[in-house]
Amino acid sequence: MANLSLKHIYKVYPNGAKAVNDFNMQIEDKEFIVFVGPSGCGKSTTLRMIAGLEEITAGELKIGGTVVNGMEPKDRDIAMVFQNYALYPHMTIFENIAFGLRMRRIPDIKRDKNGNPVLDKNGNEIQIMRKYNKQELSAKVNEAAEILGITEYLKRKPKEMSGGQRQRVALGRAIVRQPKVMLLDEPLSNLDAKLRTQMRSEIVKLHKKLQTTFIYVTHDQVEAMTMGTRIVVMKDGFVKQIDTPKNLYKYPANKFVAGFIGTPQMNFFEGTLKKQGDKVVIDFKYSDAQVTVPYSMLMKTTPQYLDGSKTVYIGFRAEDVTLDEEKVAHSTAKIPVRISHTEELGTETLVYGDINMEGDGFAETSTRVIIKSAGFKEYQTDKVCEAALDINAIHLFDIDTEESILPRIPEYNYLDCKAANGNITFLGNKLALPPAIGCPDGSGELLIPVSAVRFDGPIKANVISCENINGSILVSLDINGGRLYALSDKVLDSGEINIGLDFKKLIIKIGADEIQPMPEINGLNGKFVMEKSSERVDGKIKNVPRYYLLINGTKLEAPAEVYEKMFAATSGRKVYNSAFRYEWTPYDFTLSESGIEAQVSETLDYGNEKFVKCTVGQETLYVKCGGQVNGTVYLVPDAGKVSVIESDRQIRIV
Amino acid sequence: MNKAKAKVAKAKTKKVLNVAITYCILIVVAFIFFFPCLWLILASFSKSGSIYSFDGFFPSEYGFDAFKSLFTDTVMYNYPKWFLNTLFIAVMSCLFGTLLTILTAYCMSRFRFKSRKAMMKATLLLGMFPSFMGTIAVYLIMTQFNLINQQWGLILIYSAQAPMGYMVQKGFFDTIPYSIDEAARIDGASNFTVFVKFILPLSKPMLVYTALTSFTWPWSDFILPKMLLIDKDLYTVAVGLMSLGETEFARFAAGSIFIAIPIIVLYFCLVKYMINGMAAGAVKE
Repeated sequence: MANLSLKHIYKVYPNGAKAVNDFNMQIEDKEFIVFVGPSGCGKSTTLRMIAGLEEITAGELKIGGTVVNGMEPKDRDIAMVFQNYALYPHMTIFENIAFGLRMRRIPDIKRDKNGNPVLDKNGNEIQIMRKYNKQELSAKVNEAAEILGITEYLKRKPKEMSGGQRQRVALGRAIVRQPKVMLLDEPLSNLDAKLRTQMRSEIVKLHKKLQTTFIYVTHDQVEAMTMGTRIVVMKDGFVKQIDTPKNLYKYPANKFVAGFIGTPQMNFFEGTLKKQGDKVVIDFKYSDAQVTVPYSMLMKTTPQYLDGSKTVYIGFRAEDVTLDEEKVAHSTAKIPVRISHTEELGTETLVYGDINMEGDGFAETSTRVIIKSAGFKEYQTDKVCEAALDINAIHLFDIDTEESILPRIPEYNYLDCKAANGNITFLGNKLALPPAIGCPDGSGELLIPVSAVRFDGPIKANVISCENINGSILVSLDINGGRLYALSDKVLDSGEINIGLDFKKLIIKIGADEIQPMPEINGLNGKFVMEKSSERVDGKIKNVPRYYLLINGTKLEAPAEVYEKMFAATSGRKVYNSAFRYEWTPYDFTLSESGIEAQVSETLDYGNEKFVKCTVGQETLYVKCGGQVNGTVYLVPDAGKVSVIESDRQIRIV
Repeated sequence: MNKAKAKVAKAKTKKVLNVAITYCILIVVAFIFFFPCLWLILASFSKSGSIYSFDGFFPSEYGFDAFKSLFTDTVMYNYPKWFLNTLFIAVMSCLFGTLLTILTAYCMSRFRFKSRKAMMKATLLLGMFPSFMGTIAVYLIMTQFNLINQQWGLILIYSAQAPMGYMVQKGFFDTIPYSIDEAARIDGASNFTVFVKFILPLSKPMLVYTALTSFTWPWSDFILPKMLLIDKDLYTVAVGLMSLGETEFARFAAGSIFIAIPIIVLYFCLVKYMINGMAAGAVKE
């Protein structure tokens, strides 16, 4: 009955191999979280780190608000169900379930033989920790056994039971402890298919009954989709996407998630997109197939992919393409498919085909297509049919990074603009640019990040719609016929509102010049040192060790949370020999009389905010300041807000 | 049709011939192994003590004299005392040796520490040198500790030597799945509880094996007791029997037979238990 917080969890082995890379997640109470991914992706390792069976190399793990990084598994109040059940073979089922309870002590007051409380000198009751007595133990074990339906097996030994029964005993052993978090490590992998589906629904029922947080690891995406409230898809130690099953299915963030979730696997094709006026032509590679769709359906696509030159992955699921003649007749997005063979499933038929007329539909190249069709429909091999695509369900991915280029929340708004005399004109509005942006005259492109739109300012806009995407509200605005996306923290009513821009985040491209946004991260390389200073502690003079971040010869005192995490991540003494990178935002510095020496190169005035651009050694920093500053300044960053990265192993420690 | 029948017949004779030859070889080899024991048993029943009065290979007269004098004539050769000495030393070595071996094997199997691989290699390497090589060193060390001519000195040496053979036990512990340890740890068991409540009950056959090997080695060892024990009263059977004169061969044989009996009985009882234990303590794979 607790929530979990995983912040920057890393697992690095001594030979440098990273099993888990920067795992970040907030798990709420009573959720059913599923870690899913192919073998070797780090999901079991993460689960074992939560359980306490593996050491966390770097990062912070909190269970129910308490930091549990160094805690023993038994103190974390968790229970675990293993893949191979791990029942104690020489004990009866009753003993197996009761063992955890026997190890526990519960608080109680001291009593004598008849059950009357024993009082101490002052007549108060004495608090002691005692074991469970026989009745309590039996009651608890029987209760757990009843929930799982194994009451009649309590006297047996594990070797006399079937796989499904053993798994239930393992579950019983876990639930009898009434843990804060239940951890399950591929519990159904060793069972046959029918038993697996049955146990799946039993585990879901158990979750509803116990109302405890469940964390479940599996490599089977069907289990993940049917059981989880939220799913974490992992690959090679990296988290690919964390979302509800519905969102993972409908809005995968990258090609891996798109191909991993859903059977049959999503169809992927290589192709190009070319924007022609208000239409987009999708041209499939290795095939003559070509589809023309209105631009309004692909509006959130990152525009650099719409020039026809970049190859992208086009994906659509088997159920989003149809061979049904009626639908095909009414569709405008048709591609010819040559049928190769069919797989009969009873409720539906999977039709394998090829969009390349010379292909054979068997190889997993980018021309094979799987189409779902009604059950028991006949299709002739080698016949060329027309298939209709559902463009609303299309997915597009970059060919190198495999990230989605049709995101639910677009990163930037791409608008044509004209700059003249320190003003910029876009979407029919003219805005004065702050002095910090030295923009040459000319026409070009303005990129406004969706987070840079302010809801107060000189521009008038019409709110068209608000979409709630995982807690963030994406607002679609209409400005003089043009579309602008903005991020808001609350839902806005349709109608007119005023818009402004956060100028320091804009990117302006005019001709060959590009105005970059102001960097939000300032990084400095440095080391970590310890110095002993004589101080008065409790009336005695002692040598107290103090810990400092050493940057460019200047020492900055490190607060306890920071240096404790650094010690933990670098295992002790090595922290003095390691190189670190310290990062702050521009708002974390104060200018003062002494500190890190920096040379000011220019002052940036963004209208409502002023920043100084200064250099410290080789690094360039941007610091918020009050007014005009020149020459040499001394920066004092807030050590409590530092972000520390260990340079050798590239681990974010704080 | 006849050809097929001939082939079948040929195969049959071939089989019979194979079996016959195998049995012949086995009988010959068994005889070679068993003959010395047989001869010793017969020699122990010889009436006259000396080996020279034998009629060729076998004794001329048979009687229980040797056995009687073994237990009654205790003035020079105190066989019962030797027997009890040997029993004491073997039992004590068995207890301490088993304990040390099991603990060593458990640590090597379950814990990961920096010098683990180095220690395993070192033990393997050192174990290749015959123990005889260290006898001079052992003598000197025992003199320093004033443990010469004391039974506890012997027990100390035997118990300390036992863990060198931890490999078999470690292999056995490795077959117990680590997930049982983990499940117990999550349930709140400490290292010691895991060892006592889980590993030991599952390793009963291995405990029996370790106890058996730690028992038989001191029981029949000659070199170490000969070197470390001086008083005749403290002798073990092995040393004591060697101190018998040339003419007392029958008594020697009788003593040897008698000392072997407890071991044989022990083996017969415990082998059954070991086999049963291995099948019954099945762990889920």
